[in-house]
Amino acid sequence: MKIGFLINPVAGMGGAVGLKGTDGQHARAMALGARPVAPAKAKAFCTALGPTLHTFLTAAGVMGGDILRSCGYDCETVYRPAAATTTRADTIAACEACRAAGARLLLFCGGDGTARDVFSVCDHDLPLLGIPAGVKMYSGVFATTPAAAAEIIRRLGEASCIDAEVLDVDEEAYRHNALSTTVYGIAATPALPGLRQASKWASDGSSEGRTQEEIARFIVDIMRPGTLYLLGAGSTTAAVTALLGLEGTLLGVDAVCDGRVVGQDLNEDGICALLERHPAAKIIVSPIGAQGFVLGRGNQQFSPAVLRRAGPENLIVIATPAKLSRTSSLYIDTGDDCLNAAFGTSIAVITGYAMAQRIPLKT
Amino acid sequence: MRTKILLDENDLPRKWYNIQADLPRPLDPAYNPQTGQPIGPEDLAPIFAKELIRQEVSTDRYITIPDEVRDILTLWRPSPLYRAHRLEAALGTPAKIYYKYEGVSPPGSHKPNTAVAQAYYNMKDGIERIATETGAGQWGSALAFATQLFGMECTVYMVRGSYDQKPFRKMMMQCWGAECIASPSPLTNAGRAILERDPETSGSLGIAISEAVEDAASKSTTNYSLGSVLNHVCLHQSVIGLEAKEQLAMDEAEADIIIGCAGGGSNFAGLAFPFVREKLDGRRPDLEIIATEPTACPTLTKGLYAYDYGDVAGYTPIMKMFTLGHGFIPPSIHAGGLRYHGMAPLVSLLHQEGIIGSRAYHQNEVFEAAVRFARTEGIIVAPEAAHAVKAVIECADECTRTGEEKTIVFNCSGHGHFDLNSYEAYFSGALPDYEYPAELIAASLKDLPRV
Ligand SMILES: Cc1ncc(COP(=O)(O)O)c(C=O)c1O
Repeated sequence: MKIGFLINPVAGMGGAVGLKGTDGQHARAMALGARPVAPAKAKAFCTALGPTLHTFLTAAGVMGGDILRSCGYDCETVYRPAAATTTRADTIAACEACRAAGARLLLFCGGDGTARDVFSVCDHDLPLLGIPAGVKMYSGVFATTPAAAAEIIRRLGEASCIDAEVLDVDEEAYRHNALSTTVYGIAATPALPGLRQASKWASDGSSEGRTQEEIARFIVDIMRPGTLYLLGAGSTTAAVTALLGLEGTLLGVDAVCDGRVVGQDLNEDGICALLERHPAAKIIVSPIGAQGFVLGRGNQQFSPAVLRRAGPENLIVIATPAKLSRTSSLYIDTGDDCLNAAFGTSIAVITGYAMAQRIPLKT
Repeated sequence: MRTKILLDENDLPRKWYNIQADLPRPLDPAYNPQTGQPIGPEDLAPIFAKELIRQEVSTDRYITIPDEVRDILTLWRPSPLYRAHRLEAALGTPAKIYYKYEGVSPPGSHKPNTAVAQAYYNMKDGIERIATETGAGQWGSALAFATQLFGMECTVYMVRGSYDQKPFRKMMMQCWGAECIASPSPLTNAGRAILERDPETSGSLGIAISEAVEDAASKSTTNYSLGSVLNHVCLHQSVIGLEAKEQLAMDEAEADIIIGCAGGGSNFAGLAFPFVREKLDGRRPDLEIIATEPTACPTLTKGLYAYDYGDVAGYTPIMKMFTLGHGFIPPSIHAGGLRYHGMAPLVSLLHQEGIIGSRAYHQNEVFEAAVRFARTEGIIVAPEAAHAVKAVIECADECTRTGEEKTIVFNCSGHGHFDLNSYEAYFSGALPDYEYPAELIAASLKDLPRV
């Protein structure tokens, strides 16, 4: 199989010098004495991978070719950056070249910014997998370590594609210690049946999409008249609106009541206004990103004010078993410690029809 | 200090104890799913032996065990009652822990106690073949063992998930001459209907029951047999409690807490009912009786006490019981024998009346308890029985805190030698802690039948 392999050579450089992300800050990072980190991560990946029957498509020089060849891989160069210092435009152009040359998976080494650029080419139909090398890696397309990424490539035959959120982190705000993350898109990423995966005869065998549908069927069956349902970002929650035959937004917060859409792509104020009119409400979210954030990354419209008004007991978390199996616990970070504590130390996640799994919760 | 308290073969009970004689109020009638009328013997006759139908509704306190049945039961009965000295020491508890070990039967569980009786009465009626369902394979292998002793054929519909995961149970059935079919199967209308909806389903006990009932109803020389739930099954299992009472007396002990796991309720009933009698007649008002179950299928702790079907297709009588709804397909926990949406009407009534209690546990804590038991008492218990072990340890720890020297008796319903892959899953950290989202479902059990 042909696999695109791209390194963002400047990814991660801002971290060591305290820049919290390198997007648009490469020159400054260099001036502060930052050293490249992505090449070393890429090399760690190659070392862990060992011999492979896959063919790599890559970009010349620091964007991939150098390291692949030094590690003894045959590879096909499909793109050459114009200048020594590469840019976002090079990442995007290289991805397009890989895609055009028949890559079935794009493997990239970088951070959230790189993930966003790669995703802009892949969309949901070309799977991508991140070797973590950036400063921020909230997106769900990242393997936990370079070695874990190698493991996925080695056992690609056993892997199945799951939906993963690509997050848009506002680096400018992040540098000022305000973490603002929104879901930028839903990518497809290969995942191995993980540790927490159910025994073989659970709901697997059925595809990810079917499991999402089963979860949606349950949610629709327990919906009550007069109750407001606020659905967070992601394809699992989108399956609920789809089953109701309604038009929702994949990446934003939508509101449904009595089988009708009563709000689309809502912000915090919009949600509060709706809660004013509908005292009985449930918030339905799916964990976001590589770490499994239930609240605090990607669904920040559900602010502490919103959560207090709806009541922490009215949070419903839904996720497919395959997606849950990627993390051993889930996270809640509302930015308000007292509120975080109200969710307890574990949470029931709906994973099928009338089926839940209890997962440890961390803050 | 004795470890094993053994009865002589001659002390094997000569009569079963029937709790229907002592209930605080009679059972609510079961209804015919087709006519909506209360069930009469003629409704059950096409698939059950005459004597079993009589036992199902009998209110005689004692029913004689036929000699032919007792004869076979002596292959492993009376079963030993153990004092768990090593577990007590490891827990540092003042409680005394006893367990009745039913894993000594050839198929390895309590199930043959009723399988032998049921096969016998069917043979008496001239039946040539019995069809049944099995979850983890314990019941299927027990009935396979029993039918061949009486020269009958046996067809077992085995829940697909277990069929794939537990090949050794399948082979045991083969050794005992039975035919084992993965359920849902394309051989029955009920099976085909499910397969059409979900070709990759792992199946459930409720579906397998539908298939076996359909098979039996369509052939005159084939009867159906159920390994749990029904009154006559609880009756046949009463030998466990009757023996245990004798054995406790031999050790000059008296039970304060009785514990059993409950799937359909039969092993729990078997141990508990002879003791329940003393609670009902006022001799032991403080006796605590606890049924344990998985959080994934918490029939007693989270279900409704309502009329429901015993199977998915709605072929069985409509019974008043605790239920999660006959359409509920529990997640594929490793305690396959506890994946049943309903509960024995007798156990349900006693639970509703507050005479027995219930507790539910997650998979990981259950296996943790089972491993502790294995490392002290040596026996590697079936995942179902491990749910009882968990409650035993919990109760013993409560005694440690209060300093009370209570006597805890539990039913160790079977060994786990064919369930070792579930232990493997536990050790590898791969067991999800499934649970039933009861609060969300609340009173929305929509498809309960109306009677
Ligand atoms: C060992 C064991 N214990 C318990 C059970 C649960 O059944 P019941 O509740 O009827 O005893 C089973 C059922 O398969 C079993 O195999």
